[in-house]
Amino acid sequence: MDGVIIMGEAIFRQKNKQIAVNVVAACGVMTPRQFAGLGKIAEDLESSGLKLTSRQTVIVLLEEDKLPAFKEELQILGLNISPFGNSIRAVKACSGNAELCRRAITDALNIGIEIQSRYLGQPVPDDFKIAVAGCPRGCTDPYCADFGIIGCSRNLYNIAIGGRGSSGNPLHGRTIAKKCDQHAVFQVLDFVLDKYRKFAEPEERLCKTISRLGIEAFTPNFQLPEKNDVDEEFVAFLTSGE
Amino acid sequence: MIIRSLNEIDLQSIYKHLEKLCANCDKIKSPACKESACLIGFSKRALRFSMEKGVLDIPGANKLIPTRDLKTYYPETVAPGLAETCRQCRQCQDNHSPNCVIALTRTCLEYTTLSQEIDYPGSVFQYLIKVKEQNKTLSELIAAAMKA
Repeated sequence: MDGVIIMGEAIFRQKNKQIAVNVVAACGVMTPRQFAGLGKIAEDLESSGLKLTSRQTVIVLLEEDKLPAFKEELQILGLNISPFGNSIRAVKACSGNAELCRRAITDALNIGIEIQSRYLGQPVPDDFKIAVAGCPRGCTDPYCADFGIIGCSRNLYNIAIGGRGSSGNPLHGRTIAKKCDQHAVFQVLDFVLDKYRKFAEPEERLCKTISRLGIEAFTPNFQLPEKNDVDEEFVAFLTSGE
Repeated sequence: MIIRSLNEIDLQSIYKHLEKLCANCDKIKSPACKESACLIGFSKRALRFSMEKGVLDIPGANKLIPTRDLKTYYPETVAPGLAETCRQCRQCQDNHSPNCVIALTRTCLEYTTLSQEIDYPGSVFQYLIKVKEQNKTLSELIAAAMKA
């Protein structure tokens, strides 16, 4: 691919001959040590700047001969270079969890990090973007992702697939599963990835495969765990003492 | 896991209004008083659950609202409670949940006086417009109680 220095890694040559190295953290979350460390490496290697990306990663601008040293130092910090090409990309997740965003209905950050740790870089026919939001506000644009996960209730998620944001022809994803618990989210993700790998033409984005075959081909054909969405503790509380 | 904080919401202030309604009920403290089957009793249980557990949303609770409770209440007695739910509402707009304990209480109070449940629009202003479409007097009482 034009401008890519190493296939599979998000390292791009820039107009000014420098390279842009895309660094991925846990859905954008870094420890202070990692954050400061990244700044220190960038300074030591005379980076001309760092830029935050829309996928919650960080671009570091470097001279190309500094790349080996940069990679070595990055590894020490426990950070990685983002994958690029036909692979599962860095997962976008909002800050919804038990401690952060007050508007979140359910966890998004922890499940997003878990998804990223399991799936990042896996090969797929074209780029595959995942976004997780802890409430319907969707700060991470889940309907613009290939696989969007939207918190709908406590520990439950709706899933939309086939979205495409960064394009001249943007598309919103379509809902294929509702009220999935976390286990079911992974089941549906595995199902969609399996079908995508089987049915897609080379370098065909999921939305195109869906438009060719229909959403039914990607709608889970297995029984999702029957999720009783009524809080059983409340049911017991409601009638206690009567 | 529940995430939204209750710190900024005063559920006790809503609860007080419900207790006033109970105090005027013929069934209070009688064997016929069954909270799970009563709109006001249900609201009180939901609020107590919310306060005890520190949760704002009770998943699926709106399906348990005892809609067959047909006890009648005067709009004048219900309006202050509805006004208090409006006051405590965080106006979540798109993020509105019908299982939010404030929404549950409001829905129960609506059932006592309105012929149709209101699909809450996520903002108090729009809500009052919707109430007015069904019951002008009630909307005026709510608005007056909110100013009080």
